[in-house]
Amino acid sequence: MTGGRNRLLAALGLVPGVSLATLLTLFILVPIAAVFLWAFAEAWRYPSLLPTRWGLRYWEVMLARADVWTALSTSIALSLTVTLLSAIICLPAAYAFARMEFPGRSALLLSFLATQAFPKFGLYIAIATIFFSFGLVGTFAGVVLIQLVNTLLLMIWIPVGAFQGVDRRLEEAARDVGASPLRTFFSITLPQAGPAIAAALLLTFVGTFYETEGAFLIGAPHVRTMPVLMISLINNQLVVQYGAVLSVMLWVPSFLALLFARKILSARTIAGGLGA
Amino acid sequence: MSKLVIDRLSKRFSGTVAVADVSVAVGDGELLCLLGPSGCGKSTVLRMVAGFENPSEGRVLIDGEDVVALPPERRPTGMVFQSHALWSHMTVAQNIAFGLRLRGLARAEVKARVGSVLELVGLAGYEARYPAQLSGGQQQRVAIARCVVLEPKILLMDEPFSALDAHLRVRLREEVRAIQQRLGLTTMFVTHDQDEALTLADRIVVMRSGAVEQVGTPGEIYAAPATRFVASFIGTMNLIETEASGGSAGLAGARVGGDLPDGPLTIAVRPEDIALGEPGWTGRIERVLDLGAFRMLDVALDGGPTVKVQAAKGVPLRAGETVPLRPLGLVAYGGDGRARRASIEFGNLTNVVSIHG
Amino acid sequence: MALAAPILVEARRFPVGLLLVAAPMLLLVVFVLVPAASAIVSTLTDPRSGGPSLANYRTLLGDPLSRGNLFFTLGSTLAVCGLLLAVCLPVALYLRFSSGRLPAFVQSVAVFPLFVPGIIVAYALIRFLGPNGSLQTVLDAIGIHGFRSPYLTPAGTVIGLVWEGIPLTLLILLSGLAQIPNAAIEAARDVGAGRLAILTGIILPLIANSVTVAFSLAFLGAFGAFTIPYLMGPASPEMMGVFMQRTFSELRDPAQAQTQAVMSFLFCAAVGVIYVRSVIRSRRRGS
Repeated sequence: MTGGRNRLLAALGLVPGVSLATLLTLFILVPIAAVFLWAFAEAWRYPSLLPTRWGLRYWEVMLARADVWTALSTSIALSLTVTLLSAIICLPAAYAFARMEFPGRSALLLSFLATQAFPKFGLYIAIATIFFSFGLVGTFAGVVLIQLVNTLLLMIWIPVGAFQGVDRRLEEAARDVGASPLRTFFSITLPQAGPAIAAALLLTFVGTFYETEGAFLIGAPHVRTMPVLMISLINNQLVVQYGAVLSVMLWVPSFLALLFARKILSARTIAGGLGA
Repeated sequence: MSKLVIDRLSKRFSGTVAVADVSVAVGDGELLCLLGPSGCGKSTVLRMVAGFENPSEGRVLIDGEDVVALPPERRPTGMVFQSHALWSHMTVAQNIAFGLRLRGLARAEVKARVGSVLELVGLAGYEARYPAQLSGGQQQRVAIARCVVLEPKILLMDEPFSALDAHLRVRLREEVRAIQQRLGLTTMFVTHDQDEALTLADRIVVMRSGAVEQVGTPGEIYAAPATRFVASFIGTMNLIETEASGGSAGLAGARVGGDLPDGPLTIAVRPEDIALGEPGWTGRIERVLDLGAFRMLDVALDGGPTVKVQAAKGVPLRAGETVPLRPLGLVAYGGDGRARRASIEFGNLTNVVSIHG
Repeated sequence: MALAAPILVEARRFPVGLLLVAAPMLLLVVFVLVPAASAIVSTLTDPRSGGPSLANYRTLLGDPLSRGNLFFTLGSTLAVCGLLLAVCLPVALYLRFSSGRLPAFVQSVAVFPLFVPGIIVAYALIRFLGPNGSLQTVLDAIGIHGFRSPYLTPAGTVIGLVWEGIPLTLLILLSGLAQIPNAAIEAARDVGAGRLAILTGIILPLIANSVTVAFSLAFLGAFGAFTIPYLMGPASPEMMGVFMQRTFSELRDPAQAQTQAVMSFLFCAAVGVIYVRSVIRSRRRGS
């Protein structure tokens, strides 16, 4: 009697879950799956449900294009530069925010929220106008600077959380057995906070790699990153597969990297990095 | 004016048995404590009574009516949670009024009832405070007020004081007892703290691994633990392991006899049930611990284990002395952990000292 | 000596902490505050006389096209925010109050867009929703004809921004819901509250702050979006991001572009302030 009712209740309990799973899959996963199909389609004539001819021909075409390789190397150079600069600028500051006392500490930490409190593209326009007068528009340096601003909040707030998460007593225990403050930092604090900081670096790298709007506004057409190239492919090319192949090429490695980041960085921290 | 009956209640969580065949009745106005170590299933029993868990088997009867099919919001029970569970966005008055409003009471009536229940818990004038502005003890008082204002037939309390410091716990315990008595509330109280159970309860149910070990008044449970587990769990107890064969067992030169099965045997003696200076065992005092009201001695018995003995303050005793001593009461537990009738003999002196029988 | 030592340490630490945070603060000032302030000042200045002037704003607001774009952006943004909350709140509630493999799957699907860069989202949605795209193909195959593609319509922008915004909105709501102890819900059931009373009386008030943060981030994100509306939206009316970019890069009119940017700041100012305040409030409560 109770068993039968429980089974019925259990079955009814699945209804919201199954319907949410179905709707979200249709809305979120299916469009991405369609891109994958396009990337391996040599021909897909409407109204066929699946590609009419499969093949890797467009991969060969894309991989042979010089502009793809130039954009790739530009993007990698840009992401490396920005991540490195951001780490040098932000990590010591994050440590200071987490562990040191100085006047105005919490107000200054909160001020980084300002980067999120503006409509982003409006802010980019304001920055671009200044860059314009300094001749930074269309230069690699200009793109680096605008990306750097983008990384501030993430590269400060996540490491601050990480440093604060290190148990003070661990550090005190190290000092107690005779380690110097510097030694304590490198042997105890940094390894403890390491995973979250690594994740922040990874998020910064990937975020910069894919950032489209600042790069498009400041860099194009002289500095062309992969996303900017992708825009021109979407705008100008009639061959669907070019975009599809570039999407898959671009996206798969980042997906793996981000999955890895998510392992060491909980979803909460990602939301927390934006102040939520 | 209510009675709670728990009838053969069981709960299984994906293979593991949390509660196994528990039956217990709480009489009208009685305060019953479920006592046991963490994970013994006591909270699960309480949550099944409140309706937050569905039993795998068994019935919960409130005044004769089976409430198992009812969701918690339709059961006549009120629960006080371990972590007070006050709603942080509501004031004290709003917290207490929430349930009354749901019942569609008029504004004036709600206000009057909130006022009088706050009076009852000693927080008159705190209506407009938010939970975050209250101390831990005050928060728990509001949680109690939120419960009793709805006049539940059964009051359920799930370790309500465990988050408070020791001093406050004792005071709040007394207040709760007073309120419970005054309103005549049939109450089920879950705790892992034996002092709390012993001072608060009319009767105690000792639980272990999902099953009931013993039901009894605090006095009964303390004086005559029904199982080896209860003996070890409640109060300080000397547990001496020995071996029985042919209906008797040796114990530091003495002989324990009675209704004893062959095999391992545990003899349990409370430190205050050992008389110093009486002929029986002899032992050497190893350590004297002055605990203020009395002294606790570690005495190594000749040819036997070391036991704890409680001694009055005035007696002059020093470590290293050899003293005669004799148990005034003991309980024996066989290999199954159940209490057995037993007596102890010292050579020519025979003493029947079993408490159980 | 014993007294002097701590004072010495304090005195030495003040500048060290400030020194370490000086570099990012400088970036923040130079690349956020100065540009924003300079945009406001320069758009309020007459280029010839150097005196204060509202000419730029008169031009902007006098142009029906610009005005249209501004309100179109506001409308689209509000639609995105409304849809995001309407989609994510039920999902978040479901995830908070259930456990097992199915919710885990739902959560990973919902968070998936976090790992898909905006540019690829736009491309995928064009291929999916566009004319003769996958959706139309499937609908045709099951006999539903007359599909009107949202590609290059206002709906295209909204769909794209909702797609992109789901993970963040959901994660923020989830982190708010995670802070509601189970006992608070159980206590409400215990005093007799049904599902609706618990939702409106307990859960929503308790996550009000998270909803505010989610709403304001969604609002600021949509109002300041560029890629999705540029690739998926209509040519006219335009979202402000697209409009500003065209004014800046194609019409080569930085002054007007800046004026449009300041107008966007103005439209978003209240939301930006609400966002910062809510974050401060939730941090104070959380830690």
